Amino acid sequence: MSRKAVGISGRSLSLSNLEKDLYPSYGFTKAQILDYYRQVSRFILPHLKDRAVTLKRYPEGVDKDFFFEKRCPSHRPAWVKTAEVRRDDTERMTVCLVNNLETLIWAENLAAIELHVPLSRAGSPEIPDSMVFDLDPGHPADILACARVALILRDLFSGLGLASWVKTSGRKGLHVYVPLNRGEVTFEETRKFSKAAAMIMQKTYPDLVTAKMAKEFRKAKVFINWSQNDSSKTMICVYSLRAREKPVVSFPLAWKELEKLAGTGDPEKLQIMPSEAVRRAEKQGDLFEEVLAKKQRLPYL
Amino acid sequence: MKTSTPVRLPSKLSPHSKTAPGAQGIWNGTISFSLVAIPVQLVKAVDSGRISFHLLHNKDYSPLQRRMFCPKEEKIVPPDEIVRGYETGPDKYIVITDEELASVSPERSRTIEIIEFIDMKEVDPVYFDHPYYLVPAKGGEKAYRLLTEVMRRTNRAGLAKFVLGEREYLVAVYSSEGALALITLHYSEEILPDEDISPKEEKIESAEKTHIEKNIRKLMADFDPDKYADRRRKKIIDLLKKKLKEIPPVEAPHVEEEAGEGPADLLEALKESMLKVKKNR
Repeated sequence: MSRKAVGISGRSLSLSNLEKDLYPSYGFTKAQILDYYRQVSRFILPHLKDRAVTLKRYPEGVDKDFFFEKRCPSHRPAWVKTAEVRRDDTERMTVCLVNNLETLIWAENLAAIELHVPLSRAGSPEIPDSMVFDLDPGHPADILACARVALILRDLFSGLGLASWVKTSGRKGLHVYVPLNRGEVTFEETRKFSKAAAMIMQKTYPDLVTAKMAKEFRKAKVFINWSQNDSSKTMICVYSLRAREKPVVSFPLAWKELEKLAGTGDPEKLQIMPSEAVRRAEKQGDLFEEVLAKKQRLPYL
Repeated sequence: MKTSTPVRLPSKLSPHSKTAPGAQGIWNGTISFSLVAIPVQLVKAVDSGRISFHLLHNKDYSPLQRRMFCPKEEKIVPPDEIVRGYETGPDKYIVITDEELASVSPERSRTIEIIEFIDMKEVDPVYFDHPYYLVPAKGGEKAYRLLTEVMRRTNRAGLAKFVLGEREYLVAVYSSEGALALITLHYSEEILPDEDISPKEEKIESAEKTHIEKNIRKLMADFDPDKYADRRRKKIIDLLKKKLKEIPPVEAPHVEEEAGEGPADLLEALKESMLKVKKNR
């Protein structure tokens, strides 16, 4: 096994197997993965900060076995920040807090290609700071159908005085976020609200949308998964890579961009690759910045 | 057909409303001062005895809903077209958005922080607003009992600031028959001036004074609120009972409603917003 020692912010890290191609059918090495995360670190770190991150690790590559790591590995360096969270009613566990560049690089050296985060912070696990709608297309519906649904959701919410933001899932879907950041809303409330919104979408656009989880209802429709609004669920972090055939990024979009694409339609334009992600993020800044900052109140609850 | 449900009558006269008054908690948090923190639940201490009526459509007894109506356009205005305006003069308003209002609202808090201990006797009843009880939450029983006892012995009430709903209240926490009670107080700027109320001083004959004093003494009693009742309320309840015996209650038509989808107001607001979205597409 090849090793390379690096120093980051005064910490030394031993990086292993940098030349290993973790996306074999596309060609993207571990060194490139680390380099991608280094370049987007200033954009992704605020979204990881103080959250009980789940590391989805692909040590042998994206086409091989993976595992979810919720507990922070015990062999972690002493400087990795952790938090104690409740796993269930009785058990507690220690989770990693990826709060700085050195921890991010350490996690990526573990081939944690996908970084999943809860909608709440580790210190207040029952208080979501946003409400999310996970739009998942059932074949042959595609990401452009999701785009149409996302735009309707945006307008539906703006009618209630709520602003929303959207990102690609990095797979086939889109994620719509309604930031709350008020420190008082509960998952029960975001669930109630998101369910009601999903139901009315299904009722109004029965040919386009379903709010039902069961696969048979999802064919050719966009499934609005509102049940992600739960303290035990995680979402792929914005700017995280996905472990598909190609290294696609879960990337934030401007509504305008989605409006343009929803009409004409090249679904491939919504597959943002690492180099494009870095270029665009550096040019436009973090389009998801407001998701962490904007304070909004859910009306009528 | 609907299955017959038991007829509800206002509490006290209704046999199956045996729930303790205000058993439902309004707020959970802690009372704290210096290093003491006691987990408590806030519950209602009073329930206005008002008997409320629903407004029904006299044709089919459907319960009616309130809607906002624009007299100029002569149509019902959806929630997203409604803004708040503060009237500055005839037909002149300052528009205030929800965001602006939220920006000046206090953050919801989980503590009742006692700042001073005062003598309740110094508080003019004109300041009393709304009474509640504080119930000890799990693990707080001992400290709760201790605070209640010490406040009773020292005759002191804790003055605190406390956020409930959208407002920050000034409250007094005091010991009442082995429990802690909390009363929200009016801020001094809410108290109307009383200078003009007391009449100009005139010389009072001492004979008149003695006469009044004698009469007062004659009517002196211990305060026993149970002796009095809201007579109109009692008469309304009697009327309801009598009518119930004579004619069965009318039944509202069943409205198809998808259960469990969320609060009615939210569904209504979503529906209206949805309608607009659909129109613009």
